[in-house]
Amino acid sequence: MNEMLKFDNVELYYDHVYALKGVSIDLREGETVALIGANGAGKSSILRAITGLSKTRSGEVRYLGKRIDGLNPAEIVKMGIAMVPEGRRVFPHMSVKDNLLMGAFTRSDKADIARTLEMVLGRFPRLKERYSQMGGTLSGGEQQMMVIGRALMAKPKLLLLDEPSLGIAPKLVQDIARSIVAINRDENVSVLLVEQNSRMALSISNRAYALSTGSIVLSGNSKELMQDDRIKAAYLGGDL
Amino acid sequence: MEQILANGLYLGAQYALIALGLTLIFALMNVLNFAHGQMYVLGGFVTYTVYAQLGLPFVAGLFASAVTLAIIGALIEYFLFRPVIRRSSREESTMLLAAGIAFFLDAVILLVFGEKQRGVPKIINGVLNWDFRLIMPYDRILIGFLAILSIVSFILFMQYSKTGRAMRALAQDRVAAQLQGVNVDRYSMIGFALGAMLAGLVGGLLVTITGVNLGMGGPTSIKAFMMVMIGGAGVISGAIAGGFILGMLESIGLSVLSQYGDITYLLIFASLMVFLSIRPQGLMGKPWG
Repeated sequence: MNEMLKFDNVELYYDHVYALKGVSIDLREGETVALIGANGAGKSSILRAITGLSKTRSGEVRYLGKRIDGLNPAEIVKMGIAMVPEGRRVFPHMSVKDNLLMGAFTRSDKADIARTLEMVLGRFPRLKERYSQMGGTLSGGEQQMMVIGRALMAKPKLLLLDEPSLGIAPKLVQDIARSIVAINRDENVSVLLVEQNSRMALSISNRAYALSTGSIVLSGNSKELMQDDRIKAAYLGGDL
Repeated sequence: MEQILANGLYLGAQYALIALGLTLIFALMNVLNFAHGQMYVLGGFVTYTVYAQLGLPFVAGLFASAVTLAIIGALIEYFLFRPVIRRSSREESTMLLAAGIAFFLDAVILLVFGEKQRGVPKIINGVLNWDFRLIMPYDRILIGFLAILSIVSFILFMQYSKTGRAMRALAQDRVAAQLQGVNVDRYSMIGFALGAMLAGLVGGLLVTITGVNLGMGGPTSIKAFMMVMIGGAGVISGAIAGGFILGMLESIGLSVLSQYGDITYLLIFASLMVFLSIRPQGLMGKPWG
């Protein structure tokens, strides 16, 4: 399988505080890779480094062989990387329709956009019911579906998801997990998933990296990691 | 009564158009454009030059005002606000910059157009007289109509065009808009140009009624800020509401209160202070900003 994303020894600082110190990860085409770890471990910083929202200090970020560190977010989206940000970040005073259409901002083929819209509405029928409602009036779960749909509207090759289960009713977390699996399988989209809900993340991913204070501490096959005593103790215990 | 309403609507439409430009710039860039009134005056002088001095059609004057101000707006954004916003996160920096631009534009207008009051030939003659209940010159009706037409086109543009949608997205959530591929620099520039263009357009419209002079810039900015404060900063519907409310108040004040002297704006300012102490976010603004 072709390599899609590669981090080579990436460092990232916020002012003078490091968020990532020498992180190397990779993701191959078609994979779902999970990043797990506690709050502040650096998971979201990896996503911010990919999308260009934060500038890296050193190291290389490559996407389909091209260096993308240093590009601005708009250029990176255009290359086929879409992100579902933490806290959902819907456009509250825009209709569901306009929220979804914003996702297709970088595309211009109207007929093709209409096809993607149909696919998204088919995948999340709830959005069809709420189609002309303002984004801010939706429930948390519906908003999460809407922003996943918004990201799919970009027709991405790589989908980045930042804490999609955060603040969602437990029953809906399963629905969302299922749709992530389905999207990865049906739409030919590779997925990089950041989650504090490690059990969910490990159960739907092929491989995973565990982070702690800005470094990778463990990595491997998700099924095996779920049985790993260190992972069990640190991330799957009842206290987390 | 009909007369007061008609005057209020006519004034309100012009005001709303001015406030829309100001609120658009604020919503997109968090910049209070103190130079908005000067941009309006500049628009008036451009139409005066094209229409009264060069003798070209009035529409050409309006068009020239809009285009000139759009270009000036884009240049101001690119060369002045962008570098300042990049280097400083303090809001005072852009406020001072905007105030400086206001003084600078005042000086430019003085040098290029002089300090005299300028008027233009009437665009149409005649007066509508409805039983002496409503008397309004045809040129005012036309200008009022053009202003309302511009407001409607602006709303449609913001609501249905891809550019309009991108600007709304940027105003609602900057980071999320970037993640959809909206280039912040580019759309800040478009927004600033559009806001300045609206100011220039009103200047071009109103020069046919009130004429134009150098001193109108500051007071126009202050009125624009009042409208935006009444309606709620950064909200399109708020700017329109604020514009029509101020137009109506002024119209009522001028006919009802004129016997007591020139106290309309005194009362408007006093009531605005009371209103803002009760509802600081304005009619349609969000309490959190």
